[in-house]
Amino acid sequence: MNIDNSTSLFPLSQLNFSRQIKGNETEIIISRYDDHFLVIATQIGTMGTMLYARKEEGVSINPTFNVSVIFGKRDEPMLIACARQLIEHLSLSGSSRPLVLSLGLKDHSAETLKGIVSAVIDNSTW
Amino acid sequence: MMDSEGLEKKIEELKLKEENGNVQTQAQGQLQIITFSELINDVSLHFQIIRFPKQIYVWIGYNTAKLGHMYAAATTRPNNMVSVTSILGGVSDNTGSGIAHRLVLKTGLNVILSCSIPKNSPMIETEAEKILIRKLISLGYTKSRLGATSL
Repeated sequence: MNIDNSTSLFPLSQLNFSRQIKGNETEIIISRYDDHFLVIATQIGTMGTMLYARKEEGVSINPTFNVSVIFGKRDEPMLIACARQLIEHLSLSGSSRPLVLSLGLKDHSAETLKGIVSAVIDNSTW
Repeated sequence: MMDSEGLEKKIEELKLKEENGNVQTQAQGQLQIITFSELINDVSLHFQIIRFPKQIYVWIGYNTAKLGHMYAAATTRPNNMVSVTSILGGVSDNTGSGIAHRLVLKTGLNVILSCSIPKNSPMIETEAEKILIRKLISLGYTKSRLGATSL
């Protein structure tokens, strides 16, 4: 039995748009799974470096976050900072879901990463 | 009432505003996301395929929309053999790694696969792979027999 895609039946919700960030055309996809969020931002035709960010439930009131690179460049602190900002925003919006962030970017400047963060935050309904 | 000069000035002002301000025109994404579901033996298999120019992302959901285990697979130098690695979900359960491997062979692209099929379900795994390959062929994402990657 083939149930072809009808958005009301398919269990994932997803968002797909593109934006110019520092002159580079950036494709952004936000996918909401039952237990994760997947955010892909690409300028280079591949998913690039993948990061995993999650909130850690601790004893203190302020949550702590764990961000790590799961695939790709491990020596780019700006990518980790980007994931860190997004997971914090996610947490402040009330969600405890971990985030898988995929960044395939032409440059790793602060301006680009800020652009990515604002593009995702502007469009997400966590 | 505005004369043509005044109108021109207003248009210039608007253009400047657009450049200086953060007015972002948001285009519809260029990337295609294909989603579909199939019912196999009382199990709903959900598929999400995102085709990037040089890579393909696939998610296979088993009844729910859980992300599952994630694998990265690609051909590696020097002899173009396919390598698969687990990037999320631990290494004790490698359900789906075979699918990732064969997807690279079939598409000629780098593959990121997320799969939430439970372990020890080889029948479901095989069936899911069949459905997926059939869909990829119909979308034109697989390599043609001549070896070139179709776009």
